[in-house]
Amino acid sequence: MAIDFETLVFVIVSGAAVAGAIGCVFASRVAHSLLWLMLTFFAVAAVFLMASAEMLGAIQILVYLGSVMLVVQFGVMLTRRRIQGAESLPTLNFISAVTGVGLFALTLALLREVMEHPMWDSEVAGAPTTLEFADALFNQWTIATIVLGALLAMAMIGASYLVRDERLINLVWDTGQETVTASPGVGMPTRRDFPSSPGEQDGGEEE
Amino acid sequence: MIDPSWIAALGVILFGIGLLGTFYHKNAIVVLMCIELMLNAANLNFVAAASHYGDVSGWVFTAIAIAIAAAEVAIGLAILLSMYSTQQTISLDAASKLRN
Repeated sequence: MAIDFETLVFVIVSGAAVAGAIGCVFASRVAHSLLWLMLTFFAVAAVFLMASAEMLGAIQILVYLGSVMLVVQFGVMLTRRRIQGAESLPTLNFISAVTGVGLFALTLALLREVMEHPMWDSEVAGAPTTLEFADALFNQWTIATIVLGALLAMAMIGASYLVRDERLINLVWDTGQETVTASPGVGMPTRRDFPSSPGEQDGGEEE
Repeated sequence: MIDPSWIAALGVILFGIGLLGTFYHKNAIVVLMCIELMLNAANLNFVAAASHYGDVSGWVFTAIAIAIAAAEVAIGLAILLSMYSTQQTISLDAASKLRN
């Protein structure tokens, strides 16, 4: 049986996706997990392209690889001190082994269930076009799209509220006439750099 | 075009690996990444069904799921940074409170 070109490409791309996912789970360092996951997301975008969902492939690359992975990379860098090395490695014991075997069996059962589902018996209708996608997204699902924008705005506001810093130094507006020269060698100004009396301010200006 | 059931099968495999990763790791960032992997697997299933039936709703659901995943990552990482600033660790074994 001859294997056509498209099947070959799909096998390569899906193999890359599975390899990236396995590498993400079993990499010993978080940064390596992140790189493996980016490989998986690229492969999934390629699968979207092969299913003629070009717009979704573009969204996948722009949103996941462009912004989500960047945010996760910031998270890795900001919490780097304690997460490398032995602490992030899992501990293997009996319960872990049983869980792994159970998850493997669950995956196999799901695979059989999905592959042999009667929905695949009907005729393949072919993929919709991007024009139909735009029409559905902005005419049929308009309210959902608007609510989605509101949800994203709320998520960003909530995220910046969660990571806020309530120290007094961050609430004082920097007028640019004192601060950094008062404490050379220190990057961030401290409370000592904000003079309380006007005389100190004049001295700072003279410098 | 390739058979849509193969795309669904790839989605199932990726979902299983992501589920294994969420059980396997203690580091909260890796768990978050594995949840993203599972969301992507669900998106693959949506795209497979859309290709099979020729219905565009699967694509719309995929776009909505991608946007919600972006919001979820932002919130999740904000929670992790908040937890790191209070407890100096993001190991899920040590996470018993979010506020001192």
